[in-house]
Amino acid sequence: MTPKNNIVIGIIVALVVIASYNMDADPVKFFEGLPNLGIILEEVILVEPKYIPTALWAMFETIQMAFIGTAVGVAISLPLSMLAARNLNSKFVYAPIRALLAAMRTFPSILWALLFVIMVGSGSFAGILAIIMYTIGFIAKLQYETIETIDSDPMDAVDSIGVSKSQLIRYVVIPESASHLLSQILYMFDYNVRQTSILGLVGAGGIGFYIINYIKFFEYGKAAIFMLIVLITVLVIDWASVKIRDKFIIKSQHGMEISSN
Amino acid sequence: MKQIQMNKNPSFSLISTKKIIQMNNISTSYDSKSFALKGINMSIERGTNYAVVGQSGSGKSTLLKLMNGMMIPSNGTIKIDYVTPKMNDKKFKKMMHTIGYIPQNLGLVKNITVLENILIGALPRIGKISSLFKKFPKEELDEAKRILNLVGLGNKESRKAYMLSGGEKRRVAIARALMQKPTILLADEIVSELDHVTAREIMNLIADAQKTMNLTAIMVHHDMQLALEYADRVAVIKEGEKVLEIGVEGDTIVDFQTGDMDIEEIMETYADDSKK
Ligand SMILES: Nc1ncnc2c1ncn2[C@@H]1O[C@H](COP(=O)(O)OP(=O)(O)O)[C@@H](O)[C@H]1O
Ligand SMILES: [Mg+2]
Repeated sequence: MTPKNNIVIGIIVALVVIASYNMDADPVKFFEGLPNLGIILEEVILVEPKYIPTALWAMFETIQMAFIGTAVGVAISLPLSMLAARNLNSKFVYAPIRALLAAMRTFPSILWALLFVIMVGSGSFAGILAIIMYTIGFIAKLQYETIETIDSDPMDAVDSIGVSKSQLIRYVVIPESASHLLSQILYMFDYNVRQTSILGLVGAGGIGFYIINYIKFFEYGKAAIFMLIVLITVLVIDWASVKIRDKFIIKSQHGMEISSN
Repeated sequence: MKQIQMNKNPSFSLISTKKIIQMNNISTSYDSKSFALKGINMSIERGTNYAVVGQSGSGKSTLLKLMNGMMIPSNGTIKIDYVTPKMNDKKFKKMMHTIGYIPQNLGLVKNITVLENILIGALPRIGKISSLFKKFPKEELDEAKRILNLVGLGNKESRKAYMLSGGEKRRVAIARALMQKPTILLADEIVSELDHVTAREIMNLIADAQKTMNLTAIMVHHDMQLALEYADRVAVIKEGEKVLEIGVEGDTIVDFQTGDMDIEEIMETYADDSKK
């Protein structure tokens, strides 16, 4: 720990305190508010079990939205990421595509959802569109970065045969990056389930629609049940995608080491 | 011997029609500070088994990249089968189809099978659409299997490339190059890291293919002994310059600068190069 580091840390701590004061953020209020959670817990116990099937159904709808959004988003992002990769294209191709993707990423999914609710009306369709847009901007970046880290040896070797670009993509780029791309897609789906769960807040379908309405009418117990279902679902999907990754993806991520001089 | 003496007179037109590679005062650099190659003159006859020997960093790999058009020289002229390499040039791209290039790291696609790696060599002959679906005509599949047997990998066709041993990977790289129906085969230190026995197996394989397919083979080596054993001609590169070019016929060696030279003498002079 050098004196310079101490000064930097000191400045950051000071900024946090000043900003908190400015934001009206008071730790005392946090602790004073803790008993309120107890009230919600009491209400949860009182909620009739008949709401659980509704919650599960809403969750299922949410997963469907996330699934469609991820699948369509990936289908669009994959060709875009091929065009955005610097090792496959000239500057005139990748630069505008990258700018477009960066612009798409600046909106969080909830803002996309708002936009589509205005465009196509409230409901799941607006939510799906929002997930698609967000997925494209987010995953295309992960994917072109992955493509750019592909070993240049097979790329150069196959390129020197004089094959077409589509053949180079089919025979080198896709096989050499497939395992990474797949695990990114799994991650994206996982992430999209969480995002879709809150899109209902702006009327774009999914389980969040129920949650926000129960909260509006002070039915915290019911809201909490629905939130619990989201939590469990996300944990299950998380666990399942780790399993899938371990079983099918990590296994195929072997390097071919030939040292050079 | 006769052939080598005739080569001393490159202006003789009948002979120059046989030149598959002609380099005239070639220099090239990766950065503005230094040259990777300086003033290289080289002419290689069709069907020759040519070797390039030199220490690490002397410019051997760079020389091969000039021969397959992956690099363009900053000075001088180069002709590959009378065509000047140019980026994005249709005529040269067609020529690339028949230049088999095995880079120092082999450049195999590790997550596809041995057979698919070999079929990559046939891609320029296959329709774009069907190749995207990995659909190959039967005669190409038969040819791939014939070559697979030739390189001794008949039983490994569906193995993923990353699972192979070092010797097997080299066989796949050779097979991919042969699948191109090449007229020129460029191999960069293909046996440098192999044990003595495997290295000779691989060299014999290439020597056989070279004779039966009437290939011009240009192979970069670290080891002068190995180069003299297999090549008709050996060029020695030192710090980007060609310092020696010798013709080999059995036990006789002809040095083009100083006349006849003893094999022992050559070995003594360049033995160090192969061990460093
Ligand atoms: N991609 C590169 N960028 C910059 N310098 C390079 C590059 N490749 C090779 N060089 C330099 O060019 C010279 C010749 O390299 P190379 O042809 O690879 O030699 P060799 O194959 O004989 O070991 C070396 O000095 C090396 O450092
Ligand atoms: Mg080298």
